[in-house]
Amino acid sequence: MIGSAASLLAQAQAPADFPPKATGEFTPTAPPEIANRPTPRMPDGHPDLQGPWTWSGAKAEGEKTEEKPNELPLLPWAKALKDNRKEQNEPYLFCAPMGILRHNPFPWNFIQSTTSKGPGTIYMVFENGGGGAVRQVFMDGRKHPDPDDLIPTWWGHSTGRWEGDTLVVDTVGYNDKSWLDSRGTPHTDKLHTIERWTRTSYGTLVNDVTLDDPVTFSQLVQLHFVAHALPPGQELMEYVCVDNDQYGVAAGLENPYKGKGFGLEVQPGEFIKK
Amino acid sequence: MRPHLIALVSGLFIVTTSSLALAHHSFAIEYDATKPIEGTGTIQKVEWTNPHMRIYIDVTEPNGSVTTWNLEMGSVNSIQRRGWKPSDLKAGLKVSFKGYAGREVRTRAAIDVITLPDGRVFKGASSAPDAPPSSVP
Repeated sequence: MIGSAASLLAQAQAPADFPPKATGEFTPTAPPEIANRPTPRMPDGHPDLQGPWTWSGAKAEGEKTEEKPNELPLLPWAKALKDNRKEQNEPYLFCAPMGILRHNPFPWNFIQSTTSKGPGTIYMVFENGGGGAVRQVFMDGRKHPDPDDLIPTWWGHSTGRWEGDTLVVDTVGYNDKSWLDSRGTPHTDKLHTIERWTRTSYGTLVNDVTLDDPVTFSQLVQLHFVAHALPPGQELMEYVCVDNDQYGVAAGLENPYKGKGFGLEVQPGEFIKK
Repeated sequence: MRPHLIALVSGLFIVTTSSLALAHHSFAIEYDATKPIEGTGTIQKVEWTNPHMRIYIDVTEPNGSVTTWNLEMGSVNSIQRRGWKPSDLKAGLKVSFKGYAGREVRTRAAIDVITLPDGRVFKGASSAPDAPPSSVP
């Protein structure tokens, strides 16, 4: 058995340095001759937002795509909480969704659904950062639910509309469980986000995000991100984080969420007790 | 299957960790860049899974006992996108490997390189952006 496997391998034509060195997770992006093509459009004329997309592409920059994480205008209680958090405890490492700003190299996609009445709900699907959850952006003109009856969720309640070629997504109803970056920057369930998604070419999708959380920040936060299309033919893969999750065992780490779940360690506005 | 193996060699090479001081992802949390490991053994099992692929390698110690290493690789999705297939990494193959020991459990290590019997080298297998540069150029 060993011999036959080895001989099969010996017949393989791959070069000795295949695959190329690529420390970190790896997702290819479309080459310039494809990425520079015009923005594709749906039958109704709106931009076709389907990628798939990746934030950091082949360089596997991972967390580096977070912009100015240390310059966010945190109120004192939130900064104290952030400073007290340990990166080993970021919820994502325990298979939770990454949250609204978290980017990693794994691809994700927009799905612009069509119904008998025309364009329908837009879905965002994530290979990895969604923790298995799907985002829904309702395009039928509905309002957000009454705040008193809104049960907070990881992705909140999103409504969308087109402003020219830009998809504007308004979201409330987030829970307070995700970290805005791997350093532990918190937010509360008062977070309100406005995302402005613009596909400027086949290969480029810009997202300008406004964060409005007056309990966490001293002012509005404006962030700018750019996603890159994968080469045509590339698809999302299944990613079930709990399938074989052995995180922490090599280092003897405890799961701080066991028995109590995710969420802010203090009440919003309260200072963490040392 | 009775492994025919070369003894494990423990490296003493010290990795410069200035960049790791700024690390903020799971390599430095779980693995120790100052504790490189290497060995040669027989692949017992390959798990093509998420969030990480794992490869279990049986290494015979000088006293004849067998140590099974549990070696963490990147996500199976990324490894597929780099072109690796199940036929490339199979149980029964004799391979050599280098990596970095777990902070508490030495035999749970992050893989740096695996060298296959046909000479092909699987490099940069660790999933973390703050992992040390591969020891293979």
